[in-house]
Amino acid sequence: MALLELKGVSRHFGGVRAVDGLDLAVEAGQIFGLIGPNGSGKSTTVNLITGLFALTSGSIAFDGRDFGALPTHLRLGRGVARSFQNIRLFGQLTVWQNLWVAQNSPADHAKRGFLSRWLGGQGDVREEISQLLEFSGLAHKQDELAANLAFGEQRRLELARALATRPKLVLLDEPAAGMNNEEIGLLRDRILKMRAQGITVLLVEHVMELVMDVTDRIAVLNFGQKIAEGTPSEIQADAAVRKAYLGGETA
Amino acid sequence: MDFYFGLAQIIGVHTLLGLSAYIVLLTGQVSLAQAGFFAVGAYVAGMLTVLAGWAILPALAVSSLFGGAVACAVGFPALRVKGLMLVIATLAFGEAVRLFFFNFDYQVAKGGVKLGPVGGEGFRQIRYFPEHGWTTMEVMLFIWGFVILAMALLWWFDRSRYGAVLRAVGEDELAAQSVGINLTAVKVSAMTVGGMIAGLGGGIYAHYTTHIEHASFGILLATFALAYPILGGLESVFGTVVAVVFVQGLLVEGLRFLGDWRNLLFGALIVLAMNVRPKGFLDAPALLWIGRIFRGRRGAA
Amino acid sequence: MLDFLQSASDGILFGATYALIGIGFTLVFGVMHKLNLAYAAASVGGAYCGLLIVKVAAGAPAFAVFFGAFLAGGVLGYLVYLTCFHFIPVSNPLAALMATVGMLLLIDEIIVHETDGVPLNYPAMFDDVMLRVGEFTLRGDLLMVFVVSMVCMAGLLALLYKTRLGLATRAVSQQAVAAQLCGIRVGRVNAMTFVVTGLLGGIAGAMIGASVGTLSPLLTTPLTIKGLIVTVIGGLGSIPGAIIAGLLVGGFESVLQQFRGVTERDLYVMLLLFVFLVFRPGGLFAPKGGRD
Repeated sequence: MALLELKGVSRHFGGVRAVDGLDLAVEAGQIFGLIGPNGSGKSTTVNLITGLFALTSGSIAFDGRDFGALPTHLRLGRGVARSFQNIRLFGQLTVWQNLWVAQNSPADHAKRGFLSRWLGGQGDVREEISQLLEFSGLAHKQDELAANLAFGEQRRLELARALATRPKLVLLDEPAAGMNNEEIGLLRDRILKMRAQGITVLLVEHVMELVMDVTDRIAVLNFGQKIAEGTPSEIQADAAVRKAYLGGETA
Repeated sequence: MDFYFGLAQIIGVHTLLGLSAYIVLLTGQVSLAQAGFFAVGAYVAGMLTVLAGWAILPALAVSSLFGGAVACAVGFPALRVKGLMLVIATLAFGEAVRLFFFNFDYQVAKGGVKLGPVGGEGFRQIRYFPEHGWTTMEVMLFIWGFVILAMALLWWFDRSRYGAVLRAVGEDELAAQSVGINLTAVKVSAMTVGGMIAGLGGGIYAHYTTHIEHASFGILLATFALAYPILGGLESVFGTVVAVVFVQGLLVEGLRFLGDWRNLLFGALIVLAMNVRPKGFLDAPALLWIGRIFRGRRGAA
Repeated sequence: MLDFLQSASDGILFGATYALIGIGFTLVFGVMHKLNLAYAAASVGGAYCGLLIVKVAAGAPAFAVFFGAFLAGGVLGYLVYLTCFHFIPVSNPLAALMATVGMLLLIDEIIVHETDGVPLNYPAMFDDVMLRVGEFTLRGDLLMVFVVSMVCMAGLLALLYKTRLGLATRAVSQQAVAAQLCGIRVGRVNAMTFVVTGLLGGIAGAMIGASVGTLSPLLTTPLTIKGLIVTVIGGLGSIPGAIIAGLLVGGFESVLQQFRGVTERDLYVMLLLFVFLVFRPGGLFAPKGGRD
């Protein structure tokens, strides 16, 4: 049974079919790549999975249960976290606080009572957040305002914030956009570490080196439809993909 | 001396009103309904002590709960709309409450005298404090006890995860949702706490003025409530207190010698203050500076 | 039935002034995404300035007073822009909102100070004309208010859709950054929006004075609230919505005044607003929501 399963998912904006009859199955423990030209419906798909957009038709099931019209914050409670293409941190909160406010998982709920969860101070969770800061290499910046971080640091904080929700599945929406090669290398290591910790990753990305390097399986979208799916080497060999997406060039 | 105690009473009650708007503002919601919750609290507390003969503390507790309940009920539908729509919706709610009390008659004969609210004439003879022989100073201390309580509560919130969550919602609702924050619960809870503080403030107000009427709870009071935390800055609860002292102490009382020019200067000073300090009197750099003074410049580098 | 028709038609004619105020709020919102709470006060202020003409030249025609109000409204609109928006950073919307409240109080107090709070008589035109159809009458002054308001709205629409300035304004309201990249000076468009809405407001204030017969500073608060209600019911940012909602609110409150009395009237107008907020929060003409 797949962890995340999209069946015949469509989303239309007026006459535009941003996503049209999409089927996807992401197995637990996979790193699944979702690629396609600009405007092919990748970000819309992410927004449909997290519930920011309503489905026009189709269904999305996670962990064997249908999402239906579940609101965003409850989908997160089931274990779906995300990062944003255009970084959306809480700029006037510190790095530390950005991770703190994200601790909304059922596991956190079970561990602490209502009062301690909401009205507890920073001391209660110091250990957990230190680990996340360590993981993302932001420990020395923990008291900075998020708005004052450099671009690459902000991306790292977004990833850490998604992990603070203790997800089963993380949707990464173009996490490498605007990064240099060294940063992309560090990002690759982090994604692989996440898989080692048992987190499934859906990676939406334009940087082909990264996608071909880390993913187990790739789906290619064009005009809202899936035109190919397979392992990275299968995708690289696929004629339809070359024509629609790579324009004949090798990536 | 009584003059200063009276002034301290006004400052105390307005601080409660300002704090009720402060917590709602943290979530990014601009609410002009706080004067409405304040009015509800004033009428409820007044009716409980005068008509039902309750003691002041239980009456204030009930008026606070009432303010919170009304705020919670208003919060659910009103928070469906965002930004400027919410400003207008809450403004209209506040006006609706005022108009309700403008048309509200409920009189009971007590000892041959009819007591209770009478529509446009208002609600007279809320004489709990004088009847029980409280001095102005005692009333003032009583009020400030509650003010300190409310400030301590909000100060604690600010240091807890709840405070951080409120600010996160105020900053980016979409991102907040995406890390699992239930927007409705957070916004309605902030509204409810704000309503409780406003209801408490209203209950106290009714008793120290002894006479309340619908006209006192209009749009002017609602904008004052909002003006305190904005003028003071949203970094800390102390900003609100500073702003109340500035407005009620300095502008309203301190400029009394100017006669009716005072009112002219009042609006102009608000405009000026917002142009010069758009993030409020106590913005982040100001707080840092004050912090350094208190720490004896140890932190200055 | 006749009572109903009579009060409804009177109210709809008077509602044209609400429509003008609503347009002012909605236009500023559409272009800048800001709320100018000083707008109704500035409008009444403009109407008062119009009266200065009578002070200088006694017996000046009502027309001159209206025109004075029109011009003064524009000047006041620019002043509000300068004091509340020009110098305050865009990243501090609360500060701008609060500054407009300060301007509202300031304008209100200047009026009270200059007039000692006493209502002043306001000139009208055609106030001796009555059109009769059986028992049903149409007051000449209200008709004049209606026609003048409609002419102003037509002028505004022509300005927005037939001139370069209008094109720039619409561009800024749709995509401020893109407009800026195309060489449109956003600051100037914003300022012009305030001047244009100020002109409309001055006329609205004068028309209200003309149809009520007097002008009083007590008008500003209810007018602010009515204008905002009209804006919401019409749909934030929609000019046709504001026009229709203005006429609707005018008719609605006039009928309720007839049947429920003046103290309860506004309570029902608020209820009407809540009905819209709950069932149609986007208003009559909600702008279509796009992606993101």
